[in-house]
Amino acid sequence: MALAEHLPALIVITPLSCAFMAPLLYRRHALASGYMVLLSLLITLVMSALLLLKVNREGPLSYQMGNWSPPWGIEYLADPLRLYMLVVVIAVSLWVFFYALKDLEHELRREVIGWYYTLYLLLVASMAAMTMTNDLFNLFVLMEICAISSCAIITIKQDRECLEAGFKYLILSAMGTGCYLLGIAMLYMVTGHLNFEYLQNELSTAVAIYPLNVFTAAALFIVAFGTKAALFPLHVWLPDAHASAPSPSSAMLSGLVIKIYAFSLFLILYQVFPRSLLDSLPLSEIVLWLAALGVMFGSIYAMMQKDLKKMLAYSSIGQIAIIFMGIGLDQRLALVGGLYHIAVHAVTKGMLFMAAGAIIYATGVRKISDLAGIGRAMPLVLAAFTIGSASMIGIPGTGGLISKWYLALGALEIGRSLFVLVVLSSSLLNAIYYLPIVINAFMSEEDFAHKVNEVPKMLQLALVIGMIFIVVAGVFPRPLILLLGEAVANFF
Amino acid sequence: MAEKTVVAIQIIIVLFPIIMAPVIMYSNRISDKLRNGLSVLTAAFTFVLTMTLYPFIKNGGVVQHSLFEIIPNLEISIRLDLLSFSLASLASFVWLLATPYSLAYMSKEHACGRYYPVLIFTLGSCQGIFFAGDLFSLFVFFELMSIIAYILVIHEQTEEALKAGYKYLVMTIIGGLALFFGMIIIFELGGTVSLGVGPIIQEESVLGLVAFICFLIGFGMKAGMFPLHVWLPDAHPVAPSPASALLSGIMLKTGAYGLIRVVFFVYSFQLLHAFDWDDILAVLAVITILLGSAVALTQTDIKRRLAYSSISQMGYVLLGLSIFNTNAITGAIFHIFSHAFMKSALFLAAGSIIWKTGKRNIADLRGIGHQMPITMGCFALAALSMIGIPPLSGFLSKWTLALGALDVGMPGFVLVLLISSLLNALYYLPIIIPAFFELPGELTIKHHGDVHHEPRIKIEEAAPLMLLAIVLLASCTLFFGLTPNNIAYGLSRLTAAFLLGGGGL
Repeated sequence: MALAEHLPALIVITPLSCAFMAPLLYRRHALASGYMVLLSLLITLVMSALLLLKVNREGPLSYQMGNWSPPWGIEYLADPLRLYMLVVVIAVSLWVFFYALKDLEHELRREVIGWYYTLYLLLVASMAAMTMTNDLFNLFVLMEICAISSCAIITIKQDRECLEAGFKYLILSAMGTGCYLLGIAMLYMVTGHLNFEYLQNELSTAVAIYPLNVFTAAALFIVAFGTKAALFPLHVWLPDAHASAPSPSSAMLSGLVIKIYAFSLFLILYQVFPRSLLDSLPLSEIVLWLAALGVMFGSIYAMMQKDLKKMLAYSSIGQIAIIFMGIGLDQRLALVGGLYHIAVHAVTKGMLFMAAGAIIYATGVRKISDLAGIGRAMPLVLAAFTIGSASMIGIPGTGGLISKWYLALGALEIGRSLFVLVVLSSSLLNAIYYLPIVINAFMSEEDFAHKVNEVPKMLQLALVIGMIFIVVAGVFPRPLILLLGEAVANFF
Repeated sequence: MAEKTVVAIQIIIVLFPIIMAPVIMYSNRISDKLRNGLSVLTAAFTFVLTMTLYPFIKNGGVVQHSLFEIIPNLEISIRLDLLSFSLASLASFVWLLATPYSLAYMSKEHACGRYYPVLIFTLGSCQGIFFAGDLFSLFVFFELMSIIAYILVIHEQTEEALKAGYKYLVMTIIGGLALFFGMIIIFELGGTVSLGVGPIIQEESVLGLVAFICFLIGFGMKAGMFPLHVWLPDAHPVAPSPASALLSGIMLKTGAYGLIRVVFFVYSFQLLHAFDWDDILAVLAVITILLGSAVALTQTDIKRRLAYSSISQMGYVLLGLSIFNTNAITGAIFHIFSHAFMKSALFLAAGSIIWKTGKRNIADLRGIGHQMPITMGCFALAALSMIGIPPLSGFLSKWTLALGALDVGMPGFVLVLLISSLLNALYYLPIIIPAFFELPGELTIKHHGDVHHEPRIKIEEAAPLMLLAIVLLASCTLFFGLTPNNIAYGLSRLTAAFLLGGGGL
């Protein structure tokens, strides 16, 4: 079938084209516009799943945009690893949008909701493309789209806090992109290529002639992606941005956007830089240590927060660091753990932000200390929060345990027990700041002091879906783990 | 009985209470009676089902069955052998008694709609621990039970309870992480965590030792081993009394059970012995025994005193476990049985007293034996058994333990046991003696010439259901001490032989 061959392009084009139709339709018929976005995401998800099945059956697929072959044209690569990330991105976006449909009416002015749909779909399209692109410059373009749209879904709320946070994010993000562009330039200078594969071939010889260029490029990439993915100590923009944004935006930003950059860095480290370079430069060592620090500091900062969404945002810094640890440990099992954690944390943190959003929706409360007794007033929302917390801690039966298991196993395999302890202490620290909220919500003697409005059914349904995801990820992780295990096998 | 039937029965034993928990929670909306009835029925059914496995066990059957794979080489599996059967039958028995006791006790308490489902759920997860066929399943159920039991600990929801509960929860998480670490090391070293493949760790290594210490931390924390016992004296007394009885009587034992599994199935006792790793256990056990007893002396709240006593009693089990011969292991396992009966009886009796009179302070319990003769009689029986007076079951376990210690030429351990008995006497007798031989504080003996007129004290016993549980448990301590050829002692002997013989592998 002709269409099936163009799936990689269609996956990007579908949300992209809908992005520009959504606000037009929104003027005429607000509800239809929302459902159109939902439908387009659903179609994209189905296409991604089909592509994954096809690739799993027939092996990796290379797609050339406009039939221009690689050294000149843009190549999209569909292998199991990238498609795993793609499916995670689309599935989580669909799920978050489901929640956004009802929540946005509450958080935004009516006129801008149509534009929010545009930004949302642009963000999804750019992330989907980022998972597949095999071209450094194309990645740059997509990163810019991603950065601008994610910045805009924060500032769209138009209050002082959001504008300030959005501006901070924009500046730091632009700095990151700048570093990245400079890095590409350095590599292009010595190799004349932008395609991953061609670069990798050329670099193994080029590094001997122009070592300084390549080293600088590597350093620039780490700074670029470190800033964008909030790797400690480049995380300063994240807490404000993620906490002040509308809840669906927070769920997207914390759940997916920071991970897509971590994933891109991972692709560049493993698919662009030749193995010999990785062995001679302590790149992964740097990532590893920064990640270990991030795990500790993210959690410690989170403990000090009084605002619920701020706490969740700081917790993301610790969790993205867990993913970076998987990349930095440079070991197959650890990498599987890190990549699995991308999906687990996307759902977990997404759901936690949704739960926080539902609390704000129904009661307007944001302060942690005001949540006493809320569990009895909103049992379902707090049940979701509890399951999310359990997954953060890594309690058996939740996805968090599986990713920690693989990370720890990988660290042990190469004899670095210190990092096992880091992973374990992250669990403990998470317990220390998540559990009191849960306990206080359900067991406090005092009753909840604020008025509770009803939470719309759709919001509740979205939370239930999240809970199911997390438990399934904890009990039946086998197929995904096998897929990831095979996908990363050829890096080692 | 075919192996398939056994596996099916085991799965039902574990899952039935877990499934019934939400049913009970829902039935609470319909009527209290239905909820109570369902809770008791579930406990009874679980007990009966567990006992149906006895013929299979008696014939020396061992089952190891893998259910499904979670991730490659890591599965949920089920195991039945003498050790799991011993503990599972004990647990379901005590639950069977504690649940009807709760009906009466909890009638004065709030939030019963939460209490019963949790009580039944912990039963299921407890059986899951005992039937787990590999460390991972064990870990899953262990965490499940520990975390759910939190709700029992903080049932009163007072500030004190919440504080104790938080301490409990943090320690549980730390213990869980230690177990996780240990398990991962075992997986890394041996490639499996199954309990059915014989000793996984065959040679000495630093990592092996680290894992062993992790298991000591994880399981020892649960068993109240020094220095990880700190949560126990806070958490056990604040729970409602039937829950305290289960926490102290059964859930503590899951820690000891885990250690037994680790010592005999993950490592081999020969290995531990050869590298003197068992000494760590022995030293901690001795400290635990002495410290628990010594601190119990200073407690004035009756339930706190009982909780400290639990710490010291668990020390016996650990001590027995650190000596690898038939007598010592028999003693350790039999002590699990007898301590479950004694301590549950004590906690339930103390609960009855608190329920009826509201008195918790030991100084206020003078003369309570006149008012509640049966309850206090059972309390006395169980306390004497704690001290180790023949012919009660506590004597039998200490005797066997002491024999085991002498067999390996360690009279020092016997001395520890004797000192601990003395200390037990020192803190139990001052409860019992004033209870029977003095009068309640507000009454005094009036003198009319030479004639003593003792004032009449009205007998006010607790509810019949509560009495039943206490009497049954106290008579168990008598019965299992009086007739050394009983089922519990027999099982302990068989289990010890089974463990030392390589666990039927």
